[in-house]
Amino acid sequence: MPPDTTTQPELGPDQALLAREKRKLIRDITGAAGDIHREVNMLTIEHLTKHYKGSEKGITDLSLHIRPGDIFAFIGHNGAGKTTTLKCIAGILGFDTGTIRVGGRDILEDSMGCKQMLAYIPDNPDVYEYLTGIQYLNFIADIFRVPADLRRERIGKYGDAFEITPSLGDLVSTYSHGMKQKLAIISALVHRPRLLLLDEPFVGLDPKASVILKDIMRSFCGDGGAIFFSTHVLDVAERLCNKVAIIKDGTLVTSGDMEKVLGEGESLESIFMEVTGQRDCISREIL
Amino acid sequence: MGVLTQIRLLAKLELCNMFGLNVLRFSRDGKAKKRAGGMLAVVAVLSVLLVFYTGGLSYGLVWMGLAAAIPAYLTAVASLLIFFFGLLKAGSAIYRRDGFEILCSLPLSQAAVIWGRFVRMYVENLLVTLAVLLPGLGVYAWAVRPGLPFYLAALMAIWAVPLLPMAGAALVGALVTGISSRMRHKSLAVSVLSVAAVLAILYGVSRLSAMDGSVEPDMLRKLSDSIFRGLEKVYPPAVWLGMALVRGDWARSLGCAMLSLAVFSLVAAGISCSFHRIVRHLYGSLARHDYEMGDLKEGSVLGALCGREFKRYFASSVYVTNTIIGPVMGCILSGALLFVDLDSVTGQLPLPVKVCSLAPFVLAGVMCMMPTTSASVSMEGKYWWIVKSLPLSAKSVLDAKLLMNLFLILPFYLLAEVLLLLALKPGGLELLWLLLVPAVLILFSCVYGLAVNLRFPVMDWESEVSVVKQSVSALLGGMGVFLLSFLCAAALLIVPEGYTDIFRAALCGALLLAAALLYARVIKISFLNVT
Repeated sequence: MPPDTTTQPELGPDQALLAREKRKLIRDITGAAGDIHREVNMLTIEHLTKHYKGSEKGITDLSLHIRPGDIFAFIGHNGAGKTTTLKCIAGILGFDTGTIRVGGRDILEDSMGCKQMLAYIPDNPDVYEYLTGIQYLNFIADIFRVPADLRRERIGKYGDAFEITPSLGDLVSTYSHGMKQKLAIISALVHRPRLLLLDEPFVGLDPKASVILKDIMRSFCGDGGAIFFSTHVLDVAERLCNKVAIIKDGTLVTSGDMEKVLGEGESLESIFMEVTGQRDCISREIL
Repeated sequence: MGVLTQIRLLAKLELCNMFGLNVLRFSRDGKAKKRAGGMLAVVAVLSVLLVFYTGGLSYGLVWMGLAAAIPAYLTAVASLLIFFFGLLKAGSAIYRRDGFEILCSLPLSQAAVIWGRFVRMYVENLLVTLAVLLPGLGVYAWAVRPGLPFYLAALMAIWAVPLLPMAGAALVGALVTGISSRMRHKSLAVSVLSVAAVLAILYGVSRLSAMDGSVEPDMLRKLSDSIFRGLEKVYPPAVWLGMALVRGDWARSLGCAMLSLAVFSLVAAGISCSFHRIVRHLYGSLARHDYEMGDLKEGSVLGALCGREFKRYFASSVYVTNTIIGPVMGCILSGALLFVDLDSVTGQLPLPVKVCSLAPFVLAGVMCMMPTTSASVSMEGKYWWIVKSLPLSAKSVLDAKLLMNLFLILPFYLLAEVLLLLALKPGGLELLWLLLVPAVLILFSCVYGLAVNLRFPVMDWESEVSVVKQSVSALLGGMGVFLLSFLCAAALLIVPEGYTDIFRAALCGALLLAAALLYARVIKISFLNVT
């Protein structure tokens, strides 16, 4: 559990300055000016349960807390419930019980407010193929009411970084999987969300784009944003993230600070195999 | 593996989910099962209606002493149905993209891929043929009591009835797709050419089958000859087959079937030869890679959503062709009234009613044959996640879909109204009803289409054809307002003369109220429930 930050202890002058800065950061993150939410978590998931009708698959009693500045890796085997969790947070799927709060706002009660603060990129970025890349980005910018000069600046910046700007005038149907992924990433960044939800963001990206994305992720969280992403690339998760959660068959098996989860000299891969009980199975099969 | 085995396997693949049967059998998702069941139920209801209609029609012909005309007449009806509905979807069914790349990578012959797709079209059309012909032939057999040769001849020929119209539709569809595949705006070109082909063929048929209009005293006796003469001009094979059945000439019947099979095989072989070339042009798109960042314009949320709706609409030739044909036909029918003698038309109507009174209902019925809204939610398909994850209210998304439909139909409505005003020259309240009734019915059809689509959404489709032509919402959305217009027109006929204006005012009020209530209900929907 994250520490409780709602209490206000006695502070010295430096600490008071820091606290003011922190409050300003929280205000920026949680939206409406002057409306400082008591909750510091950028994303709070409590006792989330979601099961598909007629199927054993789903999520059971999942609780997670993601704070501003966190790069949170969400790992698990295929069908463990990672995508379902991300879709529930993004407001794409409903759920049976539990609560999801983005910047202190409940996704069921104030879904518009939550969606204003987040951006979601699915594992298979199906982007409108009948639009050109720039038309799609403009569409997203219109929905989030991004001023013209800002959208031009951001699209130019990220488009050049991902080397996709010359292709923005072409129909998305002509794009490769990696180009669609890059377009989806730019569309997620064009409106400056506070929370990024990424489902397997590195799949399909070329090595250079992967490096750029990792830099963008670090910079995004350095500016007070939070990222919650699923991945199967455990090396990347280990090096990039400060928090990790491992899910197995819809149930959280471990979560927390990366350093604490890893312990002394262990790799994320070995921890993953251990907590999901797969190391023994594989060993037995091989032997 | 032989080509026949390949065709058998591909045909099995095509047929296993016809009418959503595979979903019904294996899906564990209750909603998906319910949707597939609903689709099957609608198909069953339509089939029963068709059976009753053709049965009743045949009984009517028997009653008029025209039993001998039944086989030829119904063969022509089935063939024309298959031809016209096939025209609008043949190109997209044959050249559809889903699974194409996987099939290309497998060791399968090109002919097997084409024939696999044709088998599915054939099975669908054979069901239509059976629904039309069997009840009619049953009534004929009951009335005439023909011998064994009739049944033998019927058995030899019925299976081949769909082949010729299918060949015709496939040929036109392939030509339209082939020509437009070389154009820059392919979807738009396919839409324009398809609509033009349908209109040209309709015009040709109407010219060929036109009778002189004179009413003769011994009309009933001559009607049989007249039917045969008309059919012979429009579709001679129906008369050949009809005669063979009536005479119990099984050899001639088999000859007709073989001829149909030969023509169909020839067309299929021709399409097979050009398949890859057309597909390459159709789906090979050119990327320029020359974009330079310029100034970007801000727009409103509703404007962005409407723009997206229009781009989605014009990107799908199947969607455009099937939804634009009604408004185009509405304009053509309105324009046709400029060239006919209205007094003569009124005189020939079997009921004491003016053309001017019926015109608004006919115009609305034709124009609302398929509102775009009845498929617009389903057309989101795999992109639905975008709308669901964006901070958009259901109201703004659905408003854009409604506005797109209304903006699309508006120029056709205005043109049709101008033509009707010139042709009918109505005065006073008739003028008001001529303008108001179609407008209200069109508005209602758009909201109703949206409500039906939200009730029966299909988001996990593979081909646009399954949404636009084969979904429950498309069927209900299209037929609903068409039937409503028909019923309103029928109600007008039984309203006493002094009360027709009150009736039409009440009707407009009731439809506006219904549209408002339906709209208030649909915009409250949660997209979480639309899956």
